[in-house]
Amino acid sequence: MTFIWNELRDLRDAVDLGTPPRDGQPVTLSIDGVDTTVPARSSVLLAATIAGATVPKLCATDTLECFGSCRVCLVEIDGRRGYPASCTTPVESGMVVRTTSEQLVKLRRGVVELYLSDYPDSDIDGGWSQFHTTLAQVGLEEGLPADHPYRGGDTHADVPVDESNPYFLFDPAKCIVCSRCVRACEEIQGTFALTIAGRGFSSQVSPSQGESFLASECVSCGACVQACPSDALIEKSLFPEGYHRADPR
Amino acid sequence: MPIPVKPDRSVTTTCAYCGVGCGFKAETVEGRVVRMIPWKEGKANHGHSCIKGRFAFDYYQHPDRITTPMIRKNVDDPWQEVDWDTAFAYAAGEFKRIQAEHGTTSVGAVSSSRCTNEEIFLMQKFARVALRNNNIDNCSRICHSPTQFGLSATLGAGAASQHFDSILQSDVVLVVGANPTEGHPVFGSMMKRAVRRGARLLVIDPRRTETVDSPHCRAEVHLALRPGTNVLVLNSVAHVIVRERLYNEAFVRARCDGDDFELWMDLVGDDRYSPDVVGPEAGLDPDDIRRLARIYAGGPNSTIYYGLGVTEHSQGSTGVMCLGNLTMATGMVGREGVGVNPLRGQGNVQGGSCLGSWPHMLTGYRFVTDDVVRGSFEDEWKITLDSEPGLRLPNMFDAAVTGSFKAIYIQGEDPIQSDPNRHHVEAALRSMECVVVQDLYLSETAKLAHVFFPGSSSLEKDGTFTNAERRVSMVRKVIEPLGGLADWQITVGFMNAMGYECHYDHPSEVLDEIARTSPAYSGMSFDKIEALGSVQWPCNTDAPEGTEVLHTVTFPRGKGSFMLTGYLPTSERATDQYPLLLTTGRILSQYNVGTQTRRTANVAWHDDDVLEISADDAAGRGLSSGDRATITSRYGSTELTVSISERVNPGVVYTTFHFAHTMVNNLTSDLDDWATNCPEYKVTAVDVVRASIAQPVAGS
Amino acid sequence: MSFIETERLVTMANQIADFFAPYPSARRIEGVRNHLRNYWDPRMRQALYDHIDATGGPELRPHVLEAVAVLREAAPATEAKKAYAGPPRD
Repeated sequence: MTFIWNELRDLRDAVDLGTPPRDGQPVTLSIDGVDTTVPARSSVLLAATIAGATVPKLCATDTLECFGSCRVCLVEIDGRRGYPASCTTPVESGMVVRTTSEQLVKLRRGVVELYLSDYPDSDIDGGWSQFHTTLAQVGLEEGLPADHPYRGGDTHADVPVDESNPYFLFDPAKCIVCSRCVRACEEIQGTFALTIAGRGFSSQVSPSQGESFLASECVSCGACVQACPSDALIEKSLFPEGYHRADPR
Repeated sequence: MPIPVKPDRSVTTTCAYCGVGCGFKAETVEGRVVRMIPWKEGKANHGHSCIKGRFAFDYYQHPDRITTPMIRKNVDDPWQEVDWDTAFAYAAGEFKRIQAEHGTTSVGAVSSSRCTNEEIFLMQKFARVALRNNNIDNCSRICHSPTQFGLSATLGAGAASQHFDSILQSDVVLVVGANPTEGHPVFGSMMKRAVRRGARLLVIDPRRTETVDSPHCRAEVHLALRPGTNVLVLNSVAHVIVRERLYNEAFVRARCDGDDFELWMDLVGDDRYSPDVVGPEAGLDPDDIRRLARIYAGGPNSTIYYGLGVTEHSQGSTGVMCLGNLTMATGMVGREGVGVNPLRGQGNVQGGSCLGSWPHMLTGYRFVTDDVVRGSFEDEWKITLDSEPGLRLPNMFDAAVTGSFKAIYIQGEDPIQSDPNRHHVEAALRSMECVVVQDLYLSETAKLAHVFFPGSSSLEKDGTFTNAERRVSMVRKVIEPLGGLADWQITVGFMNAMGYECHYDHPSEVLDEIARTSPAYSGMSFDKIEALGSVQWPCNTDAPEGTEVLHTVTFPRGKGSFMLTGYLPTSERATDQYPLLLTTGRILSQYNVGTQTRRTANVAWHDDDVLEISADDAAGRGLSSGDRATITSRYGSTELTVSISERVNPGVVYTTFHFAHTMVNNLTSDLDDWATNCPEYKVTAVDVVRASIAQPVAGS
Repeated sequence: MSFIETERLVTMANQIADFFAPYPSARRIEGVRNHLRNYWDPRMRQALYDHIDATGGPELRPHVLEAVAVLREAAPATEAKKAYAGPPRD
């Protein structure tokens, strides 16, 4: 499924609908007890956003097709087992959706704690990325507690920063491997310069065949930087004093 | 701790680089621009961007920026820094003295497509009311003037028929003489989206461009024609459509002039344009011409996008007419997913064309020789206007060389670097008594100027731009003008010093004046554009919110007119002495003559112009990639580094012209388009030889 | 000295004439005439007239000469025909 032309025009600056706006027959469903009408083929996440609910999300954004990898946008739907990801679930007429519950809060927080276990402590306080917004939404704005059991595991803190591009850098320590950059390069720019190399813990965003960003086929359109939710791909101009990682503990 | 600084302010504006006209949010920290974020509601870009607009904005605070007006009596004198009033008074004094000595028509002006609609409108007003003549031109003279001529003659509107998103409704996309993934990258991405969704891609271009073959986007037919044979090949495509009766007779009967259609069928239907004849002449497989014609005519929705590869020829206007003819013959115009669309080079070159910055036309492409049109401006401006066409920019230079043209006011252009036949332009400028240059930097042209007005970048003023899809979008002031005045204020200051009093508090008042005098803009105002985000002209009482697709019911000229597009080979052809054909183009990271992008980190990707040459031609000359080569044409020579490339066929070499020191326009001829004098940049016969290792140095 | 070099003017005029060459005779002349009238600075036209008066314009295509003759006949004040960019029309 890709955008058709008039759907692109429904993108709004002030809000991230989570998944692309769709053109279709109106479908009415209940979000947290409020009847909400959206076009057919829309996601539950989009419907929830329009209804005014705050569903945290990381891998989903309205300029990219849904992907369903981060497991943060979970919701409860009457008649469905478990906790479906709202970004990959299309709306249906009469659907009854709850975007918040004790169990959802716990599940989302647990997922984000996992991300936090491999995100530099020094970069939590004062941050303003979508990742930081998500931390606040699940009550983790202070970062991972000092005594949290996830602490002490492997991290990407020692993987070097790629500063080859004059305009942006890639810090693997802050990458949550949501693939938004890879998908932006494919779906929006159409260059296919990025990929996720490796598997499991070692999987990492990589330009072309393990080259630097500058040496790769990357055309520096900035779509990946725009898409990155966690400051891993970010404009160098936002670091007037240069980019210096905090000393690893 | 690597926490990014958080911008304290965000201003939505429009990118000034290419004709896509992307919406951006300029974010600042303490009054300094820190980043440009593509605007999701920008209807040209939907939140996407390219390297230039997204990152290459630092040129505005480059140390080369000049921020104080300067004057000097002779071009060999040192510059003298002065205040604005002194600069205006000096320039006006010189212009008035020259007009008194050499006549009213001995001076002129040229406007810049890097400037806003309001500023361009004021430039042509300046020429008409302050200089009292029609010697006003704009830089599309050297790029898309044939578009305006060719599409006006066939369809009646010298502009794109579609909006960019329309390509997502196309089944067939024909790209002619354009390389959107490099030259118009954000539209290039949209085109690739269309191809990934299943649209069939056809390309006519001498070079195997990035557009021809990239991941998940490959041209089904690529006609790598010999440079200079566009009209021949397009007539052959038309020949196939006529002979195989692939035309849309119902459309032609309903919408077009039938007599002209008959004449056109006779012309292109002649055996002269049979693919079997044309193929060998243009270096093509005749079957490829047939395939392309059948796919295009078959649609069901086929669209054409074209660029300077069509216009910058001695038959540039004829080439554009060929495209207009094709859309009419096949009925591929007047609805979503079809049409014919110029990919315009500069951010506001469509605006430059619309707003009367022409020696023969007032706003909205209306002739100065038309008493009614001229009268409407005389009423508005309370002054009598010259009823005869003025000089085009190349003719201003021609007349300067013979001593008949003595002073010019150049807004944001660098003709020494960008115009053909550099020696001729230099000689012309040197023969003038007063050259006024308004620019960000001391350009090559400014080195021959007597007055320098420090201009403002698009971050430093309010106004509007009209992009390649006729979309008028807001340009908003992000920072104060570094030189103290925005470009529109400079022109008004000069106009007042010349003795024509006028006053504007804000550029919105200029757009109001445009709306009062120009039918296609009559419904526009800053408030409306603000409310709607952007508006495509025509915007008037019939279409108060603007018009996305042109020609849906009728053509502006009534019946569509098939033009007779006989092929005439350019006199610039390969010979024993100059056996290769040089053609020119653009690269992604650099913009035009590089004035801005060369002053950014974009040089990391492209720090010089190189000569692409086929392996065959390189081998015959003992050249390897990395070697320096001397390129010689009938007009001059220059030296470039060689890159052996599979993108060019044997017999063809290619380079870009982003860097001043390579002086590629030393090579280009003074041939130009028959109708508009648009230079033939795309074909120059050259020879290439290995540069001698030790260049003899004069005097050593 | 000519306003613009004669060779340049002759080239330009002939290029215009070559474009209109495929048209039927009357429209061919009308096309060249309209183009010179609407796109050329009057001094360029005058320079072309001067050249023709002085030499007969042997390098000029015949329909340039015919078009110039039509153009010179029409007094500017009686310029009834609305200025028109496009192709020659009846």
